Amino acid sequence: MFEVTTDWYLTLSAILFSIGFFGMMIRKNALIMFMCIELMLNAVNLTFISASKHFGQIDGQIAVFFVLVVAAAEVVVGLAIIVSIFRKQSSASVDVLNVSRG
Amino acid sequence: MVDLILFFIPAALIIIGALIVVFAKNPVHNAMGLVMTLVSIAIIYITLNATFVAMVQMLVYAGAVMTLFLFVIMMIGVDKKEQSSESIKGQTFLVSGVFLILISILGYVAISSEFKWDLWFEAVEFAVEGTPQLIAGTLFTAWIFPFEIISILLIVATAAAIALAYDSKRKKNDV
Amino acid sequence: MCLEVNLELLFLLPIFLPLLTAIFLFFNKNLFNELITNFFTLNSALLSFAISFYVFVMLALDKFQPINYSIFQWTNTPDIKMGFTLDGLSGIMLLLVTGLSFIIQLFSTSYMETDEKHNNYFVYFNFFVFSMLLLVMSSNFLVMFFGWELVGLSSYLLISFWSKKPAAAKAGNKAFILNRVGDFGFLIGLMIILNTFNTFDFYTVLKSASDVPENTITLITLFLLLGAFGKSAQFPLFSWLPDAMEGPTPASALIHAATMVTAGVFMLVRISPILQHSKIAGMVIISFGLITALLAAFSAINQYDIKKVLAYSTISQLGFMFIAIGAGAYVAAIFHLVTHAFFKALLFLGAGAVIHSMHHEQDIRKMGGLRKQMPVTASMMGIGTLAISGIPPLAGFWSKDEILASVFANGGIYYIFWALGLGAAFLTAFYMGRHWLLIFEKDNGFDHSNVYEAPKTMTRPLIILGLFSIFIGFINTPFFHGVEKVLHYSLEGVEITHLPEGITLIVLAVLSIGAGFTGLLIAYLIFSFEIFKRFNFKRINLDYPINLVKDLSFNVLYLNKFGNSIFVSGMKNFTRKVAVIVDGLIIDGSVNFVSTAFGKTSRVASATQTGLVRSYVVYFGLFLLLLIGLFIITPMVPK
Repeated sequence: MFEVTTDWYLTLSAILFSIGFFGMMIRKNALIMFMCIELMLNAVNLTFISASKHFGQIDGQIAVFFVLVVAAAEVVVGLAIIVSIFRKQSSASVDVLNVSRG
Repeated sequence: MVDLILFFIPAALIIIGALIVVFAKNPVHNAMGLVMTLVSIAIIYITLNATFVAMVQMLVYAGAVMTLFLFVIMMIGVDKKEQSSESIKGQTFLVSGVFLILISILGYVAISSEFKWDLWFEAVEFAVEGTPQLIAGTLFTAWIFPFEIISILLIVATAAAIALAYDSKRKKNDV
Repeated sequence: MCLEVNLELLFLLPIFLPLLTAIFLFFNKNLFNELITNFFTLNSALLSFAISFYVFVMLALDKFQPINYSIFQWTNTPDIKMGFTLDGLSGIMLLLVTGLSFIIQLFSTSYMETDEKHNNYFVYFNFFVFSMLLLVMSSNFLVMFFGWELVGLSSYLLISFWSKKPAAAKAGNKAFILNRVGDFGFLIGLMIILNTFNTFDFYTVLKSASDVPENTITLITLFLLLGAFGKSAQFPLFSWLPDAMEGPTPASALIHAATMVTAGVFMLVRISPILQHSKIAGMVIISFGLITALLAAFSAINQYDIKKVLAYSTISQLGFMFIAIGAGAYVAAIFHLVTHAFFKALLFLGAGAVIHSMHHEQDIRKMGGLRKQMPVTASMMGIGTLAISGIPPLAGFWSKDEILASVFANGGIYYIFWALGLGAAFLTAFYMGRHWLLIFEKDNGFDHSNVYEAPKTMTRPLIILGLFSIFIGFINTPFFHGVEKVLHYSLEGVEITHLPEGITLIVLAVLSIGAGFTGLLIAYLIFSFEIFKRFNFKRINLDYPINLVKDLSFNVLYLNKFGNSIFVSGMKNFTRKVAVIVDGLIIDGSVNFVSTAFGKTSRVASATQTGLVRSYVVYFGLFLLLLIGLFIITPMVPK
């Protein structure tokens, strides 16, 4: 019979990360892109937790806390940026923002 | 058997939620898909003995962060249609290139390792329980310095968000 | 022992005191009025001279044993350090420089009184004194080179002191550039020295000179000689010195007569232990010295600028010093350096006093008959003129006679050199006599009723220098070899040409006195007695040769124009071609190619920088996956 091993969690995490990254590449709405970033961060968190179990050490879970805090900070600042961009051009699409074009 | 059910059902929900996040047209639906993913991940955490982290995941992610997302969605409007056509030159080509490389790497890994992950270390026999006591004991001793730094980061981020979102022009008109 | 330690620290003081004064005055430029500036600079100069005097006496009591002191060691191999030395040679120069610096600064206080850059003048002046002392007190070639370059710099600053005058700015540039030619040679000489001896230290180099093949020695000395030619204004590189007279007259007195231009002579005497091994170098020195002495003396005959006569005279006297070095009479060279410093400083300061009283008129044709108005200046300049002409018992006689006698003592081809030297001495007496007579004696019909004697701060230095010009010659006579004793350790192991003995010496002395007297007499006959007007030489038409000589003399045998047409215009044409071909095609072409290549590639590359977030995400993913693929193919963690 199958046994749920660490490999399975890692595979799940990889799939989640890939989906998030794919979304980053194809979506134009800045908000959806942020959600995709959240997906990727959660994929990483999942890796940390499964590794924590695999090695029997608590430090992986501590790392998840830090990722959580960074994600929260990033969301707060990112959403504030989106709001101010939206005020300026009344669109949340990132494709119109190309001031840093080479 | 219970293990398998407890793994596969949340896993399926996670992937479905993620796909909703990526492909749904309405931003509210995307947000709901994300909530689904996050809650399912919390369930996975519980099966991995990380109960406290699962609670925090529920509270912070599915609660606070998602509320923030929904606020912003309401603020900038849900009816803004995204252009469906690809506007960036060569983007389709590059995305498919990344996809191809991803698939080839995965194929190489799967074939060369005969569908087995090589984790270099064996899994430990005992289970470590992610209780608040254990986490707090580690966080406030060995990790105290990163913890302080991360708190400073949070303060800075809060200040930055206020500075960014604060509209001085509108305030002047109000007064 | 205690004495030595004191001396080591003490003899550094006169070197750095002028530097401190210069810095101090520079930073208080706007704070100090003229009185305070004068107070500081004069006291510092006096203190520096007093310390030098004390140090020199202490050194004399110690029989002129050299004292070395190094401030810090830079590297051990090769041996490079910031070292200073005090021996007879540098002791003499120390006394000379600090002493003359004090006297001339005293003179300057009233000469520069009304100048708006009064403070700057003393800053530069003190800086020059520091550089010169650095040059003479150095114990190795490198520190000497520092001083050598710094005197060039401060000389430039002082020549173009009135930089609003185009001529002064141009003269400063000329001096700097011509000196650069010499310095280039000096630098190459230093490199060869370092390569050969693996040290810059004088004593090590000079002691191990006999182990080195003569060709290397010749090479070193010839390159160093180029430097000496530039600094001491010898034949190919002399034309900057007459132009340098655009600077303030007291500065000319110190720099372009008494001290800086003698740096080349000093340096050659310093390296005399290796110089004596090279016969070619000796020959080169004496022949160029002779050419310079004769050419400059000839050029001085028909100059009308009061300072240019003195400038050519200086070049000519420096030529005499080079003759002495070439003949192996190093002591005579230093002796002439010392006496010349005094009487030439006297002549320059006298000229300065005249210029000051004549309200900055420098043309001697517009002077004449000033003796009654300026009796002190006239008599002091008379002493200077007699001294430089070689009239005993004044200073110039002893040193010049010693040089000529030493040349004679070498025998062989040196008899011809001696005769030519005697001719130069005769010319010296002639033009100096003309100079004095035209300024003070001959009446040119100009009204000088508003010309008065210079103030006391000017005449007092003149009197001091006049006394020295009379008596300084007695320090080294055939009966008392003072300078030779002082230089005993500095010239250890050097074969010095000695004076001939007995009747020969007396005959030679009489001949050189005769040359001096004849020169002065002819000058008197022509310019004061006006022999050409009194006797009508109708039978022989002398107009043409006289005018030819006058013309050639005034234009320095057209050497400047010749040099200009060959070097300046030729170089201009050559550089223009270089500019078009090498610079335009090759260098510009390659630079342009690089820039256009970069421009094109960067334009291509910048197409990837769309500025759109999603493109960057794709790039990021692409390279991340490549990295992962690479890691899988070559795992970094061993199994």
